[in-house]
Amino acid sequence: MTELFDADTHVAPASFADLAGSLSPYWRDYAAGAALRADPVQASAYPPAMVDGPAPHDLASLRAAVLDAPGPGGARTGTAVLTCTTAFDVSRNHAFEAALCRAVNTWTAQTFLDHEPRARGSVAVPLGDPAAAVAEIEHRAGDPRFVQVLLPVRGHDLRWGHPVFRPVLAAAAAAGLVVTLHAWGRVGSAPTTTGFTHTYLQDYLSHGQVAQSQLVSLVAEGALGALPALRVTVAECGSSWLPPLLWRLDKEWRGIRREVPWVDRPPSRYVREQVRFTTAPIHLPRDPAELRDALDVLGAAELLLHAGDHPHRHGDGAARLLDALDPAGRAAVLHGNAAGWYRGAGAVVPHVPAPAPVRHAPEVPR
Amino acid sequence: MRLAVLPADELAPGEHRVVRVGTRSIGVFRVGDDYYALADHCPHQGGPLCRGSVAGAPVATGPSDVRLDEGHVLVACPWHGWEYDVRTGRSYQPGDAPARSLPASVEPGPPGMTPGPYTAETFEVTVEDRWVVVDTGRRPVTEETS
Amino acid sequence: MTTIDSTAATTRAPARRRTRTPIVDADIHPVVTPDRLAAALPEPWRRRFLRFGLRGAPPPAVYPRVRHGGMRRDSHPAAGPPGSAVRPPGSDLDLMRSQLLDPYDVVAGVLIPMQGHTAGAEEPAFAAALCRAYNDVLVTDWLDPEPRLRASICIPHESPAEAVAEIERRAADPRFVQVLFPSGTFLPWSDAKYRPIYAAAAAHGLPVAIHLGGTEGHRGDGWPSFYLEQHAWYGNAVAVALTGLVAGGVLEAVPDLQVVLVEGGVSWLPSLLWGLDDAWELCRDDVPWLTRPPSEIVRERLWFTTQPIDEPPVPAHLATTWEQTGMTDRILFSSDYPHWDFDDPITALRVLPAALRRPMAAANAARLYGLTLPGGDDD
Repeated sequence: MTELFDADTHVAPASFADLAGSLSPYWRDYAAGAALRADPVQASAYPPAMVDGPAPHDLASLRAAVLDAPGPGGARTGTAVLTCTTAFDVSRNHAFEAALCRAVNTWTAQTFLDHEPRARGSVAVPLGDPAAAVAEIEHRAGDPRFVQVLLPVRGHDLRWGHPVFRPVLAAAAAAGLVVTLHAWGRVGSAPTTTGFTHTYLQDYLSHGQVAQSQLVSLVAEGALGALPALRVTVAECGSSWLPPLLWRLDKEWRGIRREVPWVDRPPSRYVREQVRFTTAPIHLPRDPAELRDALDVLGAAELLLHAGDHPHRHGDGAARLLDALDPAGRAAVLHGNAAGWYRGAGAVVPHVPAPAPVRHAPEVPR
Repeated sequence: MRLAVLPADELAPGEHRVVRVGTRSIGVFRVGDDYYALADHCPHQGGPLCRGSVAGAPVATGPSDVRLDEGHVLVACPWHGWEYDVRTGRSYQPGDAPARSLPASVEPGPPGMTPGPYTAETFEVTVEDRWVVVDTGRRPVTEETS
Repeated sequence: MTTIDSTAATTRAPARRRTRTPIVDADIHPVVTPDRLAAALPEPWRRRFLRFGLRGAPPPAVYPRVRHGGMRRDSHPAAGPPGSAVRPPGSDLDLMRSQLLDPYDVVAGVLIPMQGHTAGAEEPAFAAALCRAYNDVLVTDWLDPEPRLRASICIPHESPAEAVAEIERRAADPRFVQVLFPSGTFLPWSDAKYRPIYAAAAAHGLPVAIHLGGTEGHRGDGWPSFYLEQHAWYGNAVAVALTGLVAGGVLEAVPDLQVVLVEGGVSWLPSLLWGLDDAWELCRDDVPWLTRPPSEIVRERLWFTTQPIDEPPVPAHLATTWEQTGMTDRILFSSDYPHWDFDDPITALRVLPAALRRPMAAANAARLYGLTLPGGDDD
């Protein structure tokens, strides 16, 4: 049976006390003075209805909930990438953000990576100060247990492809670290161009829209082209929106490529070579024939990385996906794609997926 | 059929013009002292290709390093801006929709550009007695089917 | 042999072509020139307009439209005598006839006056005067001389009382077939502020059309640097509008409201419907007013326009994706004339099987707008 590679499972300090040992006295006092707490809800991002309890804050709970728990089809977890988004909704104080990210990463290493060989880490970076983000990446680059750099998909006034963030992307690429755009981020920034939403539902679905903007930026600004070693994972933002985006982008590039002549291949080629997507959530049709078509159009077996995404609830889209894939596609999504994507786990060279349709099981179960 | 379509001196270097020959429209382009001709029909959605703007091919390594290669002149369809090399009719927009089957010579494109599948119809041009002559005898292998 | 100067404007159409099916074009952009607008404005608004202009920056000021200024390059009307006013694309009815209405057998075309997108966000009384003037000019310069045209009502959308008054003023004229909103509004579409406008439109049997433009401020998605990014995002803009209308309960609160999403395309819709239904199952307590899957509501209340047609590398994927909407009977052909990404009424939809595309050419729009098509339209 295929061993699982879980590309996104969450950990979080239960309180600031967990981070105290990694914060300087000044920042401990700052956090206490502001009555900051490491709220698992993360300022409306993960309300009670959308989680199965808090993210693990210690090794025992991580093992019980994820590493030693049976995955899809009863498979055991061979590797899990730990994601801590505690610093995502930090204030605009970039100095505090830098101190907090340093502390979060140290806490991740000391709490999990030092004791659990199946665990891999994500580098939280202070994007309010790109130079500090580069310093944090370089600080962790030599530790092979860290495999990705975490960027909130809902970011700053400028998109991640903008030149101001290029040193961050370049530092990650140089270290062989994947750059992961993860749902949520600066909840003080409205997710839509008409402002804050009236419902959680719309906020939740907005990540697909925001992720599309970020991918378009990474192409149009030339970031993916200038950094061919850069690999990007889009986590917890969906993926079935991708084909129409690429159709539109490829067509419009034909007409107005003169505006971005450094983009010298169709945008879809950069994305399909250098970007992958986690499976939580994945929004798919329920009709079996439509489901097969949707996976075919998406190129699901090449692009998707399994994510248990504990403790977040996303419905049964990922289960429908796995049921519809053929054995080879299922193995690729559950393990192979991620093993070839993250450093230390296998090949790290982006491969060029064939545009050929995915093969599917002859009949969709049930 | 060889047709003298306009006096050569009527076009300054860099200029182009659409001439009507019977029921067809043909774009005549002057690049330096060379003349080229294309059918006034964009293979994409049928726009009047040769009424488009003409400019050198952009060459770039990044946003801070962009220049125009004046030796490779492209005409942009006035509708969607899809661009074609005026010398060869070759598009530089890779895509998978089938090109109409038209005779056209293919030459290496400017650096950094990948030749696409679309090819605009081209004609051989000579300058005789200072007139531009278009040879429409190079007929398309197959006409457009509807 | 004749020669045509390629750089001069011409009213001559490319080779005249015949369609076998009448076309209803759901998105044509007229431009009201400043002199025509000023002539239609009463004082003190005429002086204000002439001496201070408008506050809202039109989108090209933010993202230069690198392809022919955002227009079909062949859509510029011939210049008038020296010293006369500039005549932008979309300002000349004769050219619109010769490039669009005549060669393609357009039996009806719906005007979308985008100038209202920003004018409608001006100070309330000024916005009301501007929109009334735009609508007056649409009547005198377009609808009266050309019976094939219909129009959208420009409204001061950020000033609901004035917007409702303008809807009431135009509702009796059957040539105004919908109420126009921009995708960029000050507040989300689900805000209570806008509901009187939706209610007034629904009360008069007028759909609300949401078209790209207006006062957009990129926030959490970050500001794009390039027009390519901004333009590729247009589908997302109307997808967000749809999500807000559904999740925010607007469609439940105004049960007779029909909404047309214009210039955002179609292909993104299936993925969004799947997401809406999945998220609804998880978020029932967040949206207690939604008592059935959102996709069911969308399929009863929303309409879409075809432009810009997608051109996937595997062409059959387009029909596959559009059929997954489950609402191809609510997709309307649109050309977006005279914009640069204009879709040719004959060639654009050819990628779709005939049975799928034929109702989109005219019948779907005729049903929405209550138009009578000429007989014998089936081929």
